[in-house]
Amino acid sequence: MPEQTPEKKQSLWKRITASREASLLLVLIVLCALIEIRSPEFLTFSNIGEILKNNAVIMIMSLGMLCVLLTGGIDISITSTLALSGMTVGMLFKYKVIQSTGLGFLIAIAIGAACGALIGVIVSRGGVMPIIATMGFMYIYRGLAYLIANSQWAGADALGSFTDFALSSSLGFGVINNVIMITILCYVVFFILLKWTKFGRSIYAIGSNREAAEISGTHVARVEFLVYLIMGLLAGLCGALSVTVYSSAQPNMVLGKEMDVIAACVIGGVSMSGGRGSVGGALLGSLILAVIAKALPLVGIDSIAQNTVKGIIILAVVILNVVTKRMMDRSNLERRKI
Amino acid sequence: MDLWNVTIKTERKARGYIVADNVLELKGITKIFPGVKALDHVQFDLRRGEVHALMGENGAGKSTFIKVITGVYHAEEGEMYLYGKKASFRGPMDAQAAGIAAVYQHPTSYPDLTVTENIFMNHEIKKHGVIQWKAMNAEAQAYLDQLDADFKSTVEMGTLSVAQQQMVEIAKAISMRARIIILDEPTAALTANESERLYRIIEKLKKEGVSVIFISHRFEDMYRIADRVTVLRDSQYIGTYQVSEISSDEMIRKMVGREIKDLFPKPETKIGGEVLRVEHLSRTGYFKDVSFHVRAGEIVSFTGLVGAGRTEVMEAVCGVTRASSGKVFLEGREIHVGCPSDAMRDGIVLLPEDRQKDGLILSWGIGRNVTLPILRTLSRRGIVDVPGEERVSKKYLEEVGTKAVSIFEPASSLSGGNQQKVVVAKALAQDKMKVIIMDEPTKGVDVGAKSEIYHIMGELAGHGYAIVMVSSEMPEILAMSDRIYVMCGGCVTGELDHGSATQEKILALSMSKDGPGRENGKKEAVANA
Amino acid sequence: MEEKSERIVSTGKKHGAKSFFSSWEFALAIIFIAVSAFCRAISPNYTPGNVLREMPKYLGEMFLLFPMAFILLMGDIDISVGSIVCLSATVSCFACNAGLPIPVVVLIGLLVGLLCGMLNGFILTTFVELPAMIVTLGTQIVYRGIAEIVLGSGGSISLKDTSGFNALAGKVGPFPYLFFLVILFAVAFAVVSAKTPFGRSLYAIGSNHNAAFYSGVKVQRVRFIVFSVTGAMAGLCAVFLTSTLFGANTTTGNGFEMDAIAMAVFGGISTAGGKGRLAGGIISAFIIICLRIGLGQINMNPQIILIILGILLITAVLVPNVSSKINARNTKNKVLTRK
Repeated sequence: MPEQTPEKKQSLWKRITASREASLLLVLIVLCALIEIRSPEFLTFSNIGEILKNNAVIMIMSLGMLCVLLTGGIDISITSTLALSGMTVGMLFKYKVIQSTGLGFLIAIAIGAACGALIGVIVSRGGVMPIIATMGFMYIYRGLAYLIANSQWAGADALGSFTDFALSSSLGFGVINNVIMITILCYVVFFILLKWTKFGRSIYAIGSNREAAEISGTHVARVEFLVYLIMGLLAGLCGALSVTVYSSAQPNMVLGKEMDVIAACVIGGVSMSGGRGSVGGALLGSLILAVIAKALPLVGIDSIAQNTVKGIIILAVVILNVVTKRMMDRSNLERRKI
Repeated sequence: MDLWNVTIKTERKARGYIVADNVLELKGITKIFPGVKALDHVQFDLRRGEVHALMGENGAGKSTFIKVITGVYHAEEGEMYLYGKKASFRGPMDAQAAGIAAVYQHPTSYPDLTVTENIFMNHEIKKHGVIQWKAMNAEAQAYLDQLDADFKSTVEMGTLSVAQQQMVEIAKAISMRARIIILDEPTAALTANESERLYRIIEKLKKEGVSVIFISHRFEDMYRIADRVTVLRDSQYIGTYQVSEISSDEMIRKMVGREIKDLFPKPETKIGGEVLRVEHLSRTGYFKDVSFHVRAGEIVSFTGLVGAGRTEVMEAVCGVTRASSGKVFLEGREIHVGCPSDAMRDGIVLLPEDRQKDGLILSWGIGRNVTLPILRTLSRRGIVDVPGEERVSKKYLEEVGTKAVSIFEPASSLSGGNQQKVVVAKALAQDKMKVIIMDEPTKGVDVGAKSEIYHIMGELAGHGYAIVMVSSEMPEILAMSDRIYVMCGGCVTGELDHGSATQEKILALSMSKDGPGRENGKKEAVANA
Repeated sequence: MEEKSERIVSTGKKHGAKSFFSSWEFALAIIFIAVSAFCRAISPNYTPGNVLREMPKYLGEMFLLFPMAFILLMGDIDISVGSIVCLSATVSCFACNAGLPIPVVVLIGLLVGLLCGMLNGFILTTFVELPAMIVTLGTQIVYRGIAEIVLGSGGSISLKDTSGFNALAGKVGPFPYLFFLVILFAVAFAVVSAKTPFGRSLYAIGSNHNAAFYSGVKVQRVRFIVFSVTGAMAGLCAVFLTSTLFGANTTTGNGFEMDAIAMAVFGGISTAGGKGRLAGGIISAFIIICLRIGLGQINMNPQIILIILGILLITAVLVPNVSSKINARNTKNKVLTRK
């Protein structure tokens, strides 16, 4: 029988490596330990807080990308959506059209959702390959961001009180920074969504076997549409967050960072063909990516080589996935009694 | 909790009343597609707790009929009665809600999700919108236990075998309170042991009052578990018979409508010298130490239960996969085959088991399918000679008797038997061939086309080709082979001569490997024709 | 078998005027004329002479179209071509600034492109389980990343001596050398795809790579060749790009993969593989190039041009999909059987 019979005395090591999340946690712990040894100020609360704040955008967008990847799609337009919504909100503050932080966030989320919805319609109803659709929108939305900027940008003074959001802990019971709080909230919401709601499970179903999902009554087109809308919504949220964290809105913000999000998911064990992946994986993947970015300078690798390293990591992880699967298949074959 | 009783109670509540015997009745069903009548006034009735076989040649209308029952198609004429009440389905979800479930050959399941999720997809157990995993896992496990499954509901679907996945599909049907379960070619991919387990499940379903309709090409399925059988031919209803009262000869006559004399014409051929010899071929995890030889003009069969490794051996010989060790000799000379084009260059050609996935490009015209392997020889100075190509493909397609309008007809529009002929034509078009390996050449091919393919095989043998046939159908093996190799569990367990081969000997060799977990007990298969 | 049945009646296929006029290529030709008229209307500078003068800036991208069409036909995709152009252009500029003669510089550019393409091909054919999209997504980052490292903190490089590259930009009459080269490659790729066994194997792989493999097509070898050639052509594109830009920076080649895919898809090549012809891609390439020149002449914001191209890409894929869905609905119940 092909099913693995559970060995009674499965060693702790074996159980850890069997679970993707557990292995990732181990890698993260080891990395942090190594960095702490090299640079002892690493594991302080304030430093960790800074890392989380600076990577909040990547972490939150990884959740959206997780959902998209689970359905077997991809979205490389997320940073353009982020720029568009962030830029719009920045301009609105600059020209004193709005003053309230809450409204700023709402508008950014709405813009992001609209961007995502448009992509969702094109992919789910128009039958366009996600890579192509989002490639086109990547340029469309980025272009729109430049148009809105009109060769200007919004700086800290223009943004006024909006920038205070990132520094205060009003949402986090006065203890946890706002930005981090939002990140935590997002993760909790998505954890529940993906594990305990029908909508969440249908995302997995579509990625695992699209035809079966269609036949058995899942509204595939609707779920697909919603997944891109959610992605856009999160990108919009991150647009506002980005503006408040960095105190500036520029049309070229987060250019090229979509690869970071994809890298985070890939490291986190999300399958590019859909059906496999988890919120925990996305979390650990983005954390590991953030930590690696900190670790590289310590090993003497300039920030200029960061992109190359990220690309190599993506390639290495997916190739490693293939190699591991092949080895597992081979050992299964060798165990067969012929 | 006795799940079976629960289902009957819900049924009573849902249907209002139960008419004595007929759970399903169809009258005068006619289904027309543009240009063709797929069903012509077909009738059918199904009793409670009955196992009813649906048989007929390919293209007779069985699949279309099933799709009318499951609500995928809407019939132009005719009526359907469910428990005595007129029923009309707007779509497959209506049929599902009415308690009709279908289990198809190719499992439509989610490999990355667990068995529980597969069973409960789209009818999950929820409280206030939140999925109750514990309850679902437990209930799924209960269904699996009812079916004597040897796996847990929490395992990933992708790790299960085809037979196990089928069991999950049946569990799913039960979980949706299906009272009519339709099985499409259920034993096609199962070993004898797994088929036996399936028969037991069907008998259990029967005892609980569930009615089963199954489509099969195998008479042994029918004789083993069916009560009645309905025959369709050329979109028409031929008749419904008690299985115990109809012989297989009669069945064939009803299905085909004509006498098939000489179903297996194997002409006497002069056997020549050795053409192909395989020595100690092994591939880790698939087969070990396989040796055989084939001579010119011989038809050698490879048989065994599904999973014995026959296809894997042939794929290794033909370069589709790599063997771990062993040697292959062609006309005495050792050859190294790294890919199919190497094999073709040396003169070995393979007709793959799955002709639609591996043998043909369905969207292409049959002409281009035939010439794909030989394009280089049809080219002058690098450019393909199109008129010459068309001539060659026409020639070979006609030689095997393909029924088609033109060489541009897409392969997808041909019947199973005709598609197989295109694959044969493709093999013939590669001259310099010495060995033809056919993997299940008549699978999914109706009786009429089968005999034509046997004719072709006989002729090829007569012309001096060495032919290897992988097959699971006892009649064709016994009638067509000069020699028979039997495999079991990845090894060759025996070699039989045409004269001394009997069904019992073959079966015994198919199961003869010692060791735990080997298949046991395939009941007498009824000889056909 | 009693008699060999003369079952296959006709070998003739529909040719002639009707099928020509209803072909996608003809529709594209009409669109080309319409776009040219549009450009003429909005910009008085849009004359054949001016167009030919400005074409070299964009013409080089057509070198990417040809192999990209091959890749799409196989059902694969390559989104790293833009980055290969960037890296190749960067290295060429360094080579030129190092004083190497122009033929050597060109060779180096081609070599860099070829190596990048071969790396793509190597990874894809060794780890066949990996989809082309994710691999070229990764290599895209790596190649541009290497260019970033090479360019250093300045992020750009200019040619010290442009004489060598100027030679490349020479002309015969009003037509630049580039023009002839593009025509040459266009014809070569078109002939290979339509008339040779290699070209046929591309369609086979795109339609059903399993069946192609069983039929003797060396699938992985074909894929390796096509990806390698793609890299080399990207190198060629980079060389000619440098002859107009006289330098390179970290954003060189940005968006080129989108252009190439847009041209191919607009020209009728399906992203699913196995369908389409190169001729359409060539016409649509000219449509896009002329549109770019025309819009550039009225000083349209380059960002807006990118927006328009993005819209074009999506429409190019959307329209055939939507129309085939409508077609499918019309022929939904057609079952082809004969008795």
